[in-house]
Amino acid sequence: MGQLFLEFLSNTGFALADYRHFIMILIGIIFIYLGIAKHYEPLLLVPIGFGILVGNIPVFKGLGLGIYEDNSVLHYLYMGVTSGVYPPLIFLGIGALTDFSTMLARPMLMLLGAAAQMGIFLTFLGALALGFAPNEAAAIGIIGGADGPTAIFLTAKLAPHLIGPIAVAAYSYMALVPVIQPPIMKLLTSRKERLIRMEEPREVSKREKIIFPILGFLLCCFLAPAALPLLGMLFFGNLLKECVVAERLAQAARTSVIDTVTILLGLTVGASTQADVFLTPQSVGIFILGATAFGIATASGVIFAKIMNLFLKAKINPLLGAAGVSAVPDSARVVQMVGQAEDPNNFLLMHAMAPNISGVIGSAIGAGILWSFVG
Amino acid sequence: MYGLENISAHNGWAISLVGITIVFTGLTLLSLTIAQLHKILDLWENKDKYINNRNHKTLTSTPADVAPQPGMPAENLEDIHQYKLIVDRLEQPFSLPKLLDIAVKIGLERPHSTINKLLVKKIIVSDGKGYFIWKLQF
Amino acid sequence: MPASLELLRSIELFSTFTQEELEKIAPLVNPMKVMEGEILAGRGYRARTFFIVIKGNFMLSFENGKAITLHNKGDIMGWSTLVAPFQYRGTVIALTKGEVLTLPGQEFYLLLQSESVLSSKIMDEINSIIASRTPYHEA
Repeated sequence: MGQLFLEFLSNTGFALADYRHFIMILIGIIFIYLGIAKHYEPLLLVPIGFGILVGNIPVFKGLGLGIYEDNSVLHYLYMGVTSGVYPPLIFLGIGALTDFSTMLARPMLMLLGAAAQMGIFLTFLGALALGFAPNEAAAIGIIGGADGPTAIFLTAKLAPHLIGPIAVAAYSYMALVPVIQPPIMKLLTSRKERLIRMEEPREVSKREKIIFPILGFLLCCFLAPAALPLLGMLFFGNLLKECVVAERLAQAARTSVIDTVTILLGLTVGASTQADVFLTPQSVGIFILGATAFGIATASGVIFAKIMNLFLKAKINPLLGAAGVSAVPDSARVVQMVGQAEDPNNFLLMHAMAPNISGVIGSAIGAGILWSFVG
Repeated sequence: MYGLENISAHNGWAISLVGITIVFTGLTLLSLTIAQLHKILDLWENKDKYINNRNHKTLTSTPADVAPQPGMPAENLEDIHQYKLIVDRLEQPFSLPKLLDIAVKIGLERPHSTINKLLVKKIIVSDGKGYFIWKLQF
Repeated sequence: MPASLELLRSIELFSTFTQEELEKIAPLVNPMKVMEGEILAGRGYRARTFFIVIKGNFMLSFENGKAITLHNKGDIMGWSTLVAPFQYRGTVIALTKGEVLTLPGQEFYLLLQSESVLSSKIMDEINSIIASRTPYHEA
């Protein structure tokens, strides 16, 4: 009986764990804390945080428990990530949730969304310089798009072994938008620039809003066909929303579909960060490059807005450039927050949604391009 | 391999340059197309007017689906039509908060102020008991 | 910044007030701009603020799906701040952007408790509004 008890003890997590598991469990708890106590992207950080706990319970290999074992339940759920199924479904929900009218009213602001994608390509170069292979560098660069589903999608296609660190880095930085972006925005703008008020956007007709997803889809996907899975679902979701007659489908896409997929994606991405796979020097490099990517993307948007102002009669508030990173709607909220700190009556939120949404389109195009070039 | 050597070896400069150019081209094209979209739609919706103008003919009123109320601009007819469709699906007399709720959920443009316009123009009127009636006849 | 006496005098609720009474109430009254779609009061929540319309259009909706709309200067919302159980009976939503005067319920209530003449004038007016709105929030 004593032998049996000792055998049981040697099979417990306590006996199998090493210090790396505890580091990861601590990270998981920090994620859950940030989500619950600080309200930083709770819908993402809580499932990812709990997933990290799930993934870092040390288990015997071969029992079919770990996410990387072929016959485990977690592995089947994780297939939605590795096969790239979840991200397009999330894009479907985002499309059904998003109102494109501010972007339709001021299409010029879309260029800010394009400028912010500089972060992707500059980080790609940085990752290459640090010695990453091109496929890995492309997957790391996409963190600069600040779009979790896009980052996961591209990594699943190009460097599946990096999904854990890249997904965690992308979502962490998305959650930390309110911390990362404001100092960069303030550093690159003067008070006078931050006080610029935007003209009220024109009203957009329902017909325009219905035609846009069809037109946008055709145009973007003819130009970058590799963006088809993401942009196809994004624009389809938006068409469901805008056409009114398919309201039930739009309702499902923006609630049950996106919620279910977010749970599965968050939990499995979290669980994929098993200490032995995750705690590597490579992951540290990815985190540093990810932060750089995010900073470059923010700065590129702001600087491009300032360049646009050199040619525009009606100046735009350069803070809007920071919303070009596609963390929807957090970066738009940050723009509103920083703008209002200077002038409480300046409402930039609706204007910031234009570059914010075009950033989503831009990062999906960027992912498509990288996939076709290095895939 | 590290540094500039690795970037050059894997064609990094070209990929980045072409990549960002394609992203800019895509979004610029989309932006230019969107900027023209409402003008094209406006032209299409008022094509009779433009044709008549070009032929120097006297403008005659075109039959409309909805008789505009005095003071209600023609561009609001689309709004009226959409709200009428929703009201038709509600129990009569209908609940104004419910109409607003549905309009918000299906993403109609500025539902609050549009409903206010319909109230001010007396297209929607109160029944005096807390519910509302659609007055405009199609 | 508290509302001016001129502005208060132009509002029907305060039209019979003397200069002295207006001066007592003025420090409590603050103008506030509202955005289209903004919710000023939520049904069932603790009634903390009393609103007077300066401009804009508003809808008061009740649990039973009934509603009334307010479009005129001087219309009041949030009388539940003065009447037990101090919970909003309806939800107030701005249909357009506009401006309202806000009175913090607690302070307003204390002022009315300590000023009987003032209280009588205001409550007469508010009672007539309560009477006219009661049928809406009753099923």
